[in-house]
Amino acid sequence: MPPVIDKEKCIGCGLCVEICPCEVFDIDHAPKTVPVVLYPRECWHCNACVLDCPRKAVDLRFPLHYMITTTDAAALNHKAGD
Amino acid sequence: MLPISKTIETDLVVIGGGIGGLMAAISAAEQGTRVVVLEKADTRRSGSGGGGCDHFFCYLPEVHGNDLDVIFQELMESQIGSCYDPLLTYQFMKMSSSIVRKWQEWGINMKPYNNEFVFRGHAFPGRPRIWLKYDGHNQKAVLTKKARSLGVTILNHHDVLELLHDGTRALGALALDNSRSEPSFVLVQSRCVMMASGTASRLYTPMSTPSTMFNTANSPANAGAGHAQALRAGARLVNFELPYRHSGHKYWTRAGKGTWIVIFKYPDGSNVGPFITKATKEVSDITSDVWNNVFTDMAREGRAPIYMDCSQIDEEDFQCMMKDFESEGLTSFLNYMGKRGLDLRKQAVEFGQFEPYFLGRGVEIGVDGQTTLPGLYAAGDVVGNVRGAIAGAAVYGWICGENIGKRYQDLEIKPVADLDLTRERMEFFSSLYERKSGAPWQEGNWGLQQILTDYAGAGPERVRSETLLSAGLKNLRELRELCKAEMKVSNSHELMRAAEVFDLLDVGEAIMLCARERRETRGLHIRKDYPFTNPLYNKKIFYIERRNGEYVVGMRDKYK
Repeated sequence: MPPVIDKEKCIGCGLCVEICPCEVFDIDHAPKTVPVVLYPRECWHCNACVLDCPRKAVDLRFPLHYMITTTDAAALNHKAGD
Repeated sequence: MLPISKTIETDLVVIGGGIGGLMAAISAAEQGTRVVVLEKADTRRSGSGGGGCDHFFCYLPEVHGNDLDVIFQELMESQIGSCYDPLLTYQFMKMSSSIVRKWQEWGINMKPYNNEFVFRGHAFPGRPRIWLKYDGHNQKAVLTKKARSLGVTILNHHDVLELLHDGTRALGALALDNSRSEPSFVLVQSRCVMMASGTASRLYTPMSTPSTMFNTANSPANAGAGHAQALRAGARLVNFELPYRHSGHKYWTRAGKGTWIVIFKYPDGSNVGPFITKATKEVSDITSDVWNNVFTDMAREGRAPIYMDCSQIDEEDFQCMMKDFESEGLTSFLNYMGKRGLDLRKQAVEFGQFEPYFLGRGVEIGVDGQTTLPGLYAAGDVVGNVRGAIAGAAVYGWICGENIGKRYQDLEIKPVADLDLTRERMEFFSSLYERKSGAPWQEGNWGLQQILTDYAGAGPERVRSETLLSAGLKNLRELRELCKAEMKVSNSHELMRAAEVFDLLDVGEAIMLCARERRETRGLHIRKDYPFTNPLYNKKIFYIERRNGEYVVGMRDKYK
C-alpha cells in the first residue's frame, strides 16, 4: 500500500521520512538513499509526502477497497424528472 | 531497562505540536516563557489539521455586528454546541477575532475570496453564519515557523508516554525518543504542562473498512494519549459517554463534508432533505448536519444509498468547491479523482456514517485553560467541555499560553527522575521491548475495537445496557491484562503504537464507566434499559475522574 517512491526521481533527502504523521517510513533513513516504506498499513493518505517532496517523487497508491462509490448523476436526475 | 538519553528542564512542556500545542507555545514564548514542544511526528504536518482546513468558526464584529450573543446562540443551538459549557464557549467567541487577525498576519490566508472575510459552509438557510472560509493548507508550516522564530524548542519524533505528576500537580513528561528505531527515554521536568495531544481515533472498528484501522476521519496517530494520561493523573474528563460520529464518502473515511456543495439524493433522484432545492456556495444541503444519522437510518430502511449530487451546481461554485477541497487538506481525494476518472459534475458520490471518535469529549478545562490538576493546561481536540477542531484549538491554545506566561514563575521545577511513577512506567515500557516474543500491538487495538463496538456501541444501529456495559468492562480489563503480559515490541515505532493501545484501553474503560452511569437515552447513547431522555440532565455534564486509585463518575451543572 502507499506511498510509492520513484527511485529515479528520489534524491534521498529524507523529508518524507521526517514529516510523515504516521511514521510509515523506516525512521533509520540513511542520507542519500531511497526511504523504505515499512508500515504501509498505517498510512492515513494525508498526502503530506506527495505535497512536500522537492522532486515530486512520491505518489500514493489507493487501496482497492478505499473505493469512492458513485452513480451516474445524469441518470439519477433523469429519474427525478430534471 | 531502556536508557534515558536526555533530561530536559524548561518552564513549559507542550505535549503535542498540533494547532492547540503550537498556539500555546507561541503565546507563552512571546511572554518570555521557555517552551519545549514534544511531538510524536513532525509539527509541520502532524495532527488532524496537518493537511489543512477550510472553515474556522468565529465571531467577527465587522461581519456579524456588535451583538456577540447572536453568534453565541447560533453556536450553542446548532449541531456542535449542545455538550459544551456556555461560559467557555462565550470566552472562545470573544477571543476568536484576535486569533483570525494573527493568523492572517502570520501568513495563513483567512481571506481567500476577494480579500474579504467570507462566511459559508455548514450554513443553515436564513440563519447567522459562524464558519469563516479560509485557506489552511499551510497552517502547520506557518505555526511551526512562528514558534521557532520565538525560540521554542520543538522535539519532533518524541512521543509522550506519560504525563508526570506527584498527585498534586503536573511536573513534566516521560517521552520516547522515536527519531531512531532503537528506543530510549527522554525526561522533561517543567513548571507547567500543556496537553494538546488531539483526538482519540482507533477506539471503534472502522465502519467503512473493518480491515483497515488507519482509515479514520481525523488523524489516526491521535490515539487518546492526553485523555488517558490526564485521567490517570487525576484530572477530570467529561462527555465520554456521548458518542460522536462523522460522515463522508463511504469507503474512504475522511472529514470535510462541509466543503461539498451538494444536494443529498435518494437512488430515485428525489431530494432527501427539505432544506434547499438548489445548492450554491452560499447555502449547501445541511440535511446531515440536522439529521446526523441520515445515512445509517436510510440504510436500515432499505432506502440507501444516499448520494451527494454536485452535478447541478454552477461552474463558478464548482471551482470554489474544488479550491476549498485543497484548503481543507483533501488533496489526496483530488488526486484520486484524477487517477480513477471521478468527475463530480457527472457522478454523484455515495456517503456513509463512520464509527465514533472524540470531538468534544475529553479533559475539562476552566475559562483560563487550566484543568482540575494544577499546572496542567489543555486545548484542542483533547478538551471535552469546549469545542476543539481548528478554531477551538487555536483560540484556547492561545488562552492557555497567555495564562501560563503570566503564572509559570509561581511554580517550581521538581526533579522527575526519582518519582515512583516515572520508574514504574519506564520499567513497564522497557519490559515490552525486552521480552523475547509476544503479541503485536495490533492485536490489542483490534481487541479493544471489537469490545467497544459490541458492548459500548453507538446508535442508531447499536445499543447499550447495564448488562452489555458490565460485560464489556470485564472483557476490556481482561484484554488489558493480556496485553500487559504478552504484548511485544521490537523498535521505537512499535513501542509508540503499543503505548497508544494502553492509552486507548483506559479511554475505552472510561467510556463504559460513564455510559453505565448515564441512565437515559440521549443522541447516539441509546440505553435499551432506559429508553427515555431525562430532561433533568439537559443542563448537566457527566464527568469521570480518579480519586485514591478509584474511578468516580459524577454529574455537574454546565458552567454559565
